[in-house]
Amino acid sequence: MKNRLKVLRAERDWSQADLADRLDVSRQTVNALETGKYDPSLPLAFRIARLFELSIETIFQDEA
Amino acid sequence: MICDTKTMSLAAKRYIARFAPAMTAYVGVLFASIWWIRHHDPHGVLLWLLAIAPALPVIAVIAIMGLYLIEEQDEFVRSTLVQAMLWGLGVTLAGCTAWGFLENVELVPHLPLYLVFPVFCGAMGVAQPFVRRRYQ
Repeated sequence: MKNRLKVLRAERDWSQADLADRLDVSRQTVNALETGKYDPSLPLAFRIARLFELSIETIFQDEA
Repeated sequence: MICDTKTMSLAAKRYIARFAPAMTAYVGVLFASIWWIRHHDPHGVLLWLLAIAPALPVIAVIAIMGLYLIEEQDEFVRSTLVQAMLWGLGVTLAGCTAWGFLENVELVPHLPLYLVFPVFCGAMGVAQPFVRRRYQ
């Protein structure tokens, strides 16, 4: 699933480690999310949305 | 199974704290059991107890791995570990089945069943970096 995580993170000048800390996940998880190869669970998607103060649909784009 | 210690999750630290004493206990119990059986020639219930004793810390390690899976909060880490475990399981089941048939016609030596868990752990360990690489 495509997402805007990398752009949103760059806008805030956060490193992957910074974002990982804020989401309470590992850096490799942030990396897997950013490549779009790992789709987060709903609870993690909501955590990401809350952190960026955006809706889930604004961050993740369903390719279907 | 676990990544670098600096960024280790609480669950991973707990896993190490449980795993290390269980493996130490395994080595101790294994040697004690072998020594006692060799030198005292026990029979009956005592032989049963001494023979099964080394399996108990190994069973504890299996439970410790299960606890880690339950306690790890990072869903991606959990997901890659489960996939690596499935690879380990598949390789072990396939390998042991093939080995058993080869053993039947004496093409390969007898494989003691207690080696099944180390084979699983080895296969899981080899699978882990490959599973992780799929997400990079």
